[in-house]
Amino acid sequence: MPDSTPPFDHEAALQACARGERYALHALYERESRWLCGVAQRILGSRASAEDVLHDAFVQVWRSAPTYQPALGSARGWIYTVVRHTALRAARRAGRVEATDPEELARLADDAQAAGAFVDRGFDVESLDRCLERLEPERRTCVTLAFVDGCTHDEIAGRVGAPLGTVKSWIRRSLAALKECLS
Amino acid sequence: MTGPATPERDLAAGEYVLGTLTEAEHQAFERELQEDAALQAAVYAWQDRLVPLSARVPPRTPSPLLWGRIDASVAAASRSANPLSDPLADKRAAVRRPTPGTPWWQRLGWWQGLSALAAFATLVLSVLLLQRPPPESAGARYLAVLQAPQGGATGWVVEVQAGGQMRLLPAGEGAAAPVPPGRALQFWTKAEGAAGPTSLGLVQAGQPLVLPASRLPAVEQRQLFEITLEPEGGSPYDRPSGPILYVGRTIRL
Repeated sequence: MPDSTPPFDHEAALQACARGERYALHALYERESRWLCGVAQRILGSRASAEDVLHDAFVQVWRSAPTYQPALGSARGWIYTVVRHTALRAARRAGRVEATDPEELARLADDAQAAGAFVDRGFDVESLDRCLERLEPERRTCVTLAFVDGCTHDEIAGRVGAPLGTVKSWIRRSLAALKECLS
Repeated sequence: MTGPATPERDLAAGEYVLGTLTEAEHQAFERELQEDAALQAAVYAWQDRLVPLSARVPPRTPSPLLWGRIDASVAAASRSANPLSDPLADKRAAVRRPTPGTPWWQRLGWWQGLSALAAFATLVLSVLLLQRPPPESAGARYLAVLQAPQGGATGWVVEVQAGGQMRLLPAGEGAAAPVPPGRALQFWTKAEGAAGPTSLGLVQAGQPLVLPASRLPAVEQRQLFEITLEPEGGSPYDRPSGPILYVGRTIRL
């Protein structure tokens, strides 16, 4: 159900974490944990692993907060990268269980439509979707499999049935095209 | 390096954020990233380009116990090291790792450790010497009575011993008044002439709070202390966002 949440200053909260103010980390957690838990669970497939990753990632956010550079980009982009990279590391270390849930796989196809159905959190979903729409469908799938599902090149090649080298080149060209389109 | 990253490096930054680098490539990239400002700028830009893809994933509410785990780990991390000095902690740990088969006096790590320890001790001593207050102000004590801005009812008392701990004590019925659901009491201080207030953390209604000197900015005469009503978890900003419930300034005893 479309809904919007009040604005939240992620930059100020992350900078407060850098000063050692723990309430700010709690405020970030209150604000983002269920979304980040969704992101981690999608990559890891299991709720328990997602929570372990969220634990490690929030400790990492706290420790690395002093390195965040507000002049270069958003705090939310920074935090999502910490969580996604922690989840990817865990998934690859554990020899991830392939997403076996057929419903989850089917959901992938509906993602583009579903994007608008979630709460508006101030992400510029429209611009990115518009640019993704311009990509060839199989290339678009490669990018979302990598970002959303956390797939490796090999896993993507297996899923889309294309050679590894082709997948690598599709992804690089798609990134270049997205950058161009978003600029 | 100056100027923007080359198109090749910029795409590598995109793949780094996307997560398609192998673990070895990922680690190599992170090492370069620490030294390369242009690459850092490229990574931040890719983070912001791609993060809207996260909106495709439905939320999952984590267990209510998860925050407690995180908070405990963060408290432990804060006790063991200042977050800024963390990389050094890793290096110190590496220095201590023994090399099997080498006598201790030939281990570089031992001497490096000793040298680091000596340097650290020198630093601690110089900081202590610099920070030692002049004799006349040693042990200066300050008191602030925090009152409601309207009506002036006393709610809390702040007691500070220079160089020692600070205590916030409930001193009136108002201090124990229940906090509305979804709200929290947050404690702030601001030195006279300071640009803005500093958060001293959240306060439980009617409960005393003791803060060690290490958590406090320098305390002086006429320093402002206040308690504001904030969203649960505290103000999202680095300043109060809600109404002032109690406010007062220090007097020297």
